[in-house]
Amino acid sequence: MKSLVIIPAYNEQDNIEKVLTDLKKYAPDMDYLVVNDCSKDNTLDILETAHCSYIDLPVNVGIGGGVQTGYLYAYKNNYDIAIQMDGDGQHNAEYLNALIHPIVDGTANMVIGSRYINKEGFQSSFMRRLGIKFLSGLIRICTGAKILDVTSGFRAVDKKMIALFAREYADDYPEPESIVVAARKGAKITEIPVIMNERVGGVSSISGLKTVYYMIKVSLSIILLRVSQGEDKW
Amino acid sequence: MVTLRLKIFLCIAIIFFFVSIFYLIKKKYLSLKYSLMWLFSGIVVFLIILFPEGFSSLMGKLGLITPANGLFAICIFLFMLMLLLLTSVISRINTKIKRLIQSIGILEKKIRELEEKKDIQ
Repeated sequence: MKSLVIIPAYNEQDNIEKVLTDLKKYAPDMDYLVVNDCSKDNTLDILETAHCSYIDLPVNVGIGGGVQTGYLYAYKNNYDIAIQMDGDGQHNAEYLNALIHPIVDGTANMVIGSRYINKEGFQSSFMRRLGIKFLSGLIRICTGAKILDVTSGFRAVDKKMIALFAREYADDYPEPESIVVAARKGAKITEIPVIMNERVGGVSSISGLKTVYYMIKVSLSIILLRVSQGEDKW
Repeated sequence: MVTLRLKIFLCIAIIFFFVSIFYLIKKKYLSLKYSLMWLFSGIVVFLIILFPEGFSSLMGKLGLITPANGLFAICIFLFMLMLLLLTSVISRINTKIKRLIQSIGILEKKIRELEEKKDIQ
């Protein structure tokens, strides 16, 4: 099965090289695509010098648009599996094969790498965990899908989901919403335990007052998706 | 004075307003991000409908003679805020489009030169 690892990157000059080295070490047979979202730092230079597989977007489009570019690429190039992995080094490439295993097996359409199953490794701050618990509960009420780590950007999807996300993917804070979109299309979603690292270099894209906006916006989107008529199966 | 009939009519109008917004969001004619402002305005208006006396006294405390003036002032203020938001969004979109146009121009040059190289061979 042809796999593509999608790595969105915005201003990750400190982290992107290590991400690529890890990737080549643990999953040398997987294709990958770095989506450079018009970084203002040296990310593009590093990608060029490394002669790696990347797309350089002419305008900054945000995490949703960046990842969706990867899904569009995967769709157009007929990949069977697409995996999302952060460009900041928080996700470990050693889990890639475990992540795609349920899809290869046929037991799931979407697999999420979750911090909260075994509760090992970086667990993020108390406030964030509280927010994530709330969203997890909301998603369970609206779709029945029991997911613990709803904001994890470390996930693998099968061909049907690639087509779906290439068509429709939220622009900002897309992770929880995309779970709901997938679930409403009847996708089987499972989680596997992973250990994530704390962000080393660079700055996170979600901080401070934005968290309030994030919670309101994501909750509203989830409820609206639920309220739309019926479950549209394939 | 606000009669019960007027209150009910206004409530129906506001509910219709919210339903329209949700419908537009669902059909993807309106993105949730930009509709938050409309939803917030709708909630403010809904509160005013539910508590007209409270609104009147608040307007009185601010030094307005008729609560109607306060209502108009708030509406005008909300409209101005919306317009400000919209013009800033348009400005940002314009910049992005300009950048896209420039990128396409540069890509066209690349392709043209690659084709010329191919022809020469």
